[in-house]
Amino acid sequence: MEKESHLYATCSAACPVHTDTREYVRRISTGDYEGALDVLLEVNPFSSVCGRICHHPCESQCRRQVIDAPVGLRLLKRFVVENTREYRIQRRKKVEPVLGRKIAVIGSGPSGLTAARDLAMLGYKVTVFEKDSMLGGMLAHAIPRYRLPVDALQEDIDDILALGIESRLNCEVGKDVSFKDLRKEYDAILIAVGLAESHSLPIPGIGSDGILLGIPFLWDVANGSPPTLGDRVMVIGGGNVAIDVARAAKRLGPSQVIMACLESREEMPAWKWEIEEAEEEGISIMNSWGPKAILEQNGKTTGIEFKRCTRVFDENKRFNPQYDESVTTSLDVDSVILTIGQKANLDFLKETTVGVDRGRLICDRESCTATERGVFVSGEVMTGPGSAIQAVATGHDVARAIHHYLETGETLKLPQESIETIGELPAQTAARARKFDHIDVRLTDASQRIKDFSPIEPGYTEAQALSEARRCLACGTGAVLAPSAQCAGCLTCVRICPYGVATVERTASMPAQECLTCGLCAAECPAAGVALARFATNRVKETLESILTDCSAEKIQRPLVVSYCCLYEATSRKYLREQTRSEIEETGILRVMVPCVGRLGSIDLVSPFELGADRVSIIACHETGCLYTGAEELLERRIQQARRFLDEIGVGGESLQFFRTHTSAEESWPQFWRESKEDLRATSAA
Amino acid sequence: MIVADPKPFQEVRGFLENYRKILILGCGTCVTVCLSGGEAQAELLASGLRIAFKKDGKEVTVLEDTVQRQCEQEFVTPVLERVKKEGIDAVVTLACGVGVNFLSDRIGAVPVFPGVNTTFYGGNVEAGLWSEMCAGCGECITYLTGGICPIARCSKHLLNGPCGGSEKGMCEVDPKNTECVWQLIYDRMKLLGRLDEMRNLLPMKDWRPAMDGGVRRTVREHIYRLSYKSQT
Repeated sequence: MEKESHLYATCSAACPVHTDTREYVRRISTGDYEGALDVLLEVNPFSSVCGRICHHPCESQCRRQVIDAPVGLRLLKRFVVENTREYRIQRRKKVEPVLGRKIAVIGSGPSGLTAARDLAMLGYKVTVFEKDSMLGGMLAHAIPRYRLPVDALQEDIDDILALGIESRLNCEVGKDVSFKDLRKEYDAILIAVGLAESHSLPIPGIGSDGILLGIPFLWDVANGSPPTLGDRVMVIGGGNVAIDVARAAKRLGPSQVIMACLESREEMPAWKWEIEEAEEEGISIMNSWGPKAILEQNGKTTGIEFKRCTRVFDENKRFNPQYDESVTTSLDVDSVILTIGQKANLDFLKETTVGVDRGRLICDRESCTATERGVFVSGEVMTGPGSAIQAVATGHDVARAIHHYLETGETLKLPQESIETIGELPAQTAARARKFDHIDVRLTDASQRIKDFSPIEPGYTEAQALSEARRCLACGTGAVLAPSAQCAGCLTCVRICPYGVATVERTASMPAQECLTCGLCAAECPAAGVALARFATNRVKETLESILTDCSAEKIQRPLVVSYCCLYEATSRKYLREQTRSEIEETGILRVMVPCVGRLGSIDLVSPFELGADRVSIIACHETGCLYTGAEELLERRIQQARRFLDEIGVGGESLQFFRTHTSAEESWPQFWRESKEDLRATSAA
Repeated sequence: MIVADPKPFQEVRGFLENYRKILILGCGTCVTVCLSGGEAQAELLASGLRIAFKKDGKEVTVLEDTVQRQCEQEFVTPVLERVKKEGIDAVVTLACGVGVNFLSDRIGAVPVFPGVNTTFYGGNVEAGLWSEMCAGCGECITYLTGGICPIARCSKHLLNGPCGGSEKGMCEVDPKNTECVWQLIYDRMKLLGRLDEMRNLLPMKDWRPAMDGGVRRTVREHIYRLSYKSQT
């Protein structure tokens, strides 16, 4: 099988769509939120949704966690989406269906719509069939609003539809339009109907009043017509949907909501944080119990009896529960909601030749195909229950498969991905890194949040997002020996590397797995031979030159201060935005935002004078704010050295000024610039 | 390795009073390693000179370049061509004195000025510190002194030390930083179990292989003036 190989950061590798995490976080930290959105939308049309509800495998694999805690990537994503709404609307573009082929997508969940998007972008005419009145599938109907508000979903859907995709709402295939008619009208069909129905349980009393199924329950709640629940509610199931059901039920006012599941606490498939949040809301969990019978009186549910579950999975890790029938317990309850698994409704395929086996669609995952040529499958109906982002990933896959089929008439076996990551951050490197608190947001108080379906999680403020973004280690984008470098193997990099990463074996080497991208070696390399894959500063002089060449020298308000500022201290975009030429001319301040001023080399400190600067001011972070071990000391020594040199060349060492940010960048920096200017005027007058 | 220190800026500036197009030439080997004349240093000096000339109202072009070793024909030739092609009228080399000579021998009527003071053959004792360890005397006697050179490392170059200025293991010339080499030799010979050899006087040294014997050259016969190379 063909293989595709990339070297991924662990975060991107863990993401089913391989979002370029480092790049969007870098763009956030430089104030380019729009650029960050571009990175997100490139692979994830459901970025708004994922900013809210993604189970963030990127964070689980973030290499920062061995230092302190993972970077809050999901909330950063949400921040980007929430702060680029106008831009997102502007960037929408309708794509003409120039290819003249038509594709029907059945189901409008994350997988179907992702495929629709990809195919529309390629120039196909895509029509989405949705049986409900709203697009989004499970996102629209099965995720409670306190987790995913309608607006957040709608943003993504509007974006997708803007490509020119036709959507037929309230149009159920098999009822309102037949599958056979679709086959006649369309060149390819994608079945992306998800798993929209809940399994029931064959236990005594299951037909009583007060027994509900999870997905229809969530559906009704989301649509504003919740069923009437009794005062004591039992939710059966230990997965994420069961948690959603329990938490949604809790918001409907019963005095008691209890969950019961076969699994032990550790085995529960629901995310740990979801379980904790449910418990905070007063939902109790009975682990290792299996429902034995519903107790009823006159057809009305009065309780439930459980038997002890002794094992959920067998030796082959297959679901194969075993019980100790002698250990039982029963509880008085008025309603029971079953959330023990889902299935697809494939009734529309009856009387077609598309293969279905015992309620399951027969499909080949490698080619995303059903048993009939031209019929494709994606999302949960193919993979089984999964995450939204996983469904998005299969949407991309199936779009490739359909495109290939329509172009060649052949079935595409999707290449198996071979994902190489830069690996774990070695413990000895992590031990030398500085710790920085992860910024977490405070959920609405549990007692408050169970009152209604209002969103419970605030997003990051701008200052929080910028602060969190800087925690990204930018894994694998650190120091490399430039191809043209004349490395003399002088060992300077080895001697100054704060993390013990650099080595010299004939020439210098900074293994990507370990480098924490501080840039100090680049600043000190006597051969000027170390390049930084990102955050390079070796073009500072050229950049300054081009800016100053564009300005009219005589128009610049003198004295001219070139100010290197620590990018990471910005709490807003005020100083992150690129300055206009006229702004530089009027203020006489030329800002250069640097991700840690410690990476500025001696030449960067001196060369602005060559370009006409009267002062160079270096504004570093707060007293204890530096991300990088050792950067402060090295910078201080470099400044001393540069000052001596400036004295020698007749510029005067005092022309190189050093400040540390206090309060905020926005407050303190203008004050420093004023000081620089006034100080220079006083010197000139004297 | 050869160790060098940057010359004071004003001294270098002083060499260049009458030139209009100057090349600052770094060297990628010894002076890069001892942080006095590599590419980064060449950039810095060039920038400093541009600033200084501008301040003085002089229109001077200052260019920069760095070659792997200025003591090799093949590495230096492209620079010589550049000097000619671009009409460079002075070169400041940041290589050791070898580089200054090597260029001067080949560059024609363009002056070559030293940008560093070549100081010694030494080793990196710790990060940021180099110390003299060899005098290049042409006849190594360290087999007699436990591998420690009294010529390079004794302030008086004594062959039979120590002198009366050795105190608590330090040299009277710089008691804070310089160890008495004869103390080092004594300690080392003791460690090697050869202390008794210290009773022997070192014989008079033949200084002819050193500078006193005239300009030194070395020929490696096996590759020197290969006939097939001269034919092609």
